[in-house]
Amino acid sequence: MSIKIENLSYVYLKKTPNEVKALDNVSLEIPEKKITAIVGHTGSGKSTLIQTLNGLLTPDSGEVTIGEFKVTSKARKNKRIKELRKYVSIVFQFPEYQLFEETVEKDVAFGLKNYGYKQEEAIEKAHEALKKVGLDESFYKRSPFELSGGEKRRVAIAGIIAIDPEVLVLDEPTAGLDPVGSKIILDLIVELNKNGKTIILVTHDMDIVMKYADHVVVINDSKIAFDGVPADLFDGDVSNYSIEIPKLFTFSKMLKEKGLDIDLKTIRNIDDLFVQLKERHK
Amino acid sequence: MNDLTFGRYAPFNTITHKLDPRNKIFLMILFIVAIFLRVNTWSSALIITGALLLILILAMIVSRVNFLQLFKSLGGMWVLILFLLIIYIFIPNPNYNPDHIAFYIGTYGVNYDAFYQSGYIILRIIMMIMITMILTATTKPMDLTYAIEWYLTPLKLVKIPSHIVAMTLSIALRFIPTLLDETNRIMKAQASRGVDFNRGGIFKRIGALTSLIIPLFVSSISRSEELSNAMEARGYDPYAKRSRYRILRFGWLDLVALLFMLMVFGGVLALKIMDANFMEIDFIFWIFGTKPLF
Repeated sequence: MSIKIENLSYVYLKKTPNEVKALDNVSLEIPEKKITAIVGHTGSGKSTLIQTLNGLLTPDSGEVTIGEFKVTSKARKNKRIKELRKYVSIVFQFPEYQLFEETVEKDVAFGLKNYGYKQEEAIEKAHEALKKVGLDESFYKRSPFELSGGEKRRVAIAGIIAIDPEVLVLDEPTAGLDPVGSKIILDLIVELNKNGKTIILVTHDMDIVMKYADHVVVINDSKIAFDGVPADLFDGDVSNYSIEIPKLFTFSKMLKEKGLDIDLKTIRNIDDLFVQLKERHK
Repeated sequence: MNDLTFGRYAPFNTITHKLDPRNKIFLMILFIVAIFLRVNTWSSALIITGALLLILILAMIVSRVNFLQLFKSLGGMWVLILFLLIIYIFIPNPNYNPDHIAFYIGTYGVNYDAFYQSGYIILRIIMMIMITMILTATTKPMDLTYAIEWYLTPLKLVKIPSHIVAMTLSIALRFIPTLLDETNRIMKAQASRGVDFNRGGIFKRIGALTSLIIPLFVSSISRSEELSNAMEARGYDPYAKRSRYRILRFGWLDLVALLFMLMVFGGVLALKIMDANFMEIDFIFWIFGTKPLF
């Protein structure tokens, strides 16, 4: 059940002088059980796009089909919105601002209780989710407000993955984190993907795209500018999209141009390049 | 959240936008006084209210204020209308004409005048909303605070620091849209965690609100701390003399508007002082007759 986006348009501040077209007739298919990266400079419409995926925004025209759910331009028709939000969950940028409970475990369990889980069951699942993000028992009873930024972020992400959505959307989950914190979150994303979750990742970091994404979508000026695999994106002309090609890709491409037999599509990190070089050039 | 855009500044470039904000505030006060001046005869009330309403509607068209917004904002007024009706109906008023009984509740006669009175006051409240809407839709919040600061300047004589009040006001105004965006964002984040802000029983809704209010408080407090640090880092001193980029100017358009408003106000005052009954018609008698309907 992939996610199908058809002719989606969205306008902010409609019928005022400050009207802004955030999405302009966007059609797109996001593959199931893959990691899809959404790339584009600030204000290109990425955030608007992900918010239509679980009906937080009602599009002005067009529709989104996610399995048996549908988000259309007619708000009344979008029934079962709560079920949809359990199916597609969004981790917003700087999710640490959504914490409010007295203890970490209660905060993570909050979403579960909203979806009808009993208290004990919710706490139990909250503990599981906290373990997944690498926070041990010592954190359960602490106040979320006394944690460090990275820990807060992990608590907030735990609050979403505890709900166990099939499609997990993350808006710049690593923004403002140190390298260790980023790696914990990215490893978690890979782990969730291996367990069969569809991941949609909004990011500015092309190294992340190259390393983790199976599929990449570039949004430029409210329109889809590119839709395909990361290697094709980096191989083509990206001068218009404010994208910085990863150094590793540039390096591999130079090696290939010098006559080495390298398959650019399968290189995700330095180890992949090493393995290819070793196998093909004995 | 879109309902909160009522009276929000709309960046058109109309005559009203060009007026000096100090002048606009003064005009608004005059207008509101004119609206609520008490006149004793029907005919004067009709002429004054009609003329003012006409001016208001024209002003709204000229300053391109959205009428739809006005109607939306009136939706919440039904409680007020009900309240006024109850008060005017059940509190006996010696000024009511005893001939104007509409119907009886038990032995208590409900007077037509009660409906007239409550309708009249509601109309005037709507007119007040209209005029404030014109002010806020055509004046940048910052200009408003400058104007308020200007009006507060005489208070310096009694050691009330008008510039600090104005700075507090402008910071508060500046952060309203930011807080609205923040509210919006947190609401969406919590909606992603299954919170439904629109449905559910009272306890569910209180729970939903806590999940919104606490993060808002936390971020506002940290934001205010950051802001005060930033201001201090840039050497802000509340008692220092400050210059200003935008200087308010009283132009010829302002003079025209002021003269026009003074004329209108003078007319209203004259009508009130004469308090003449131009048309010797008892409207209710004329419309409904004197017999009770029921």
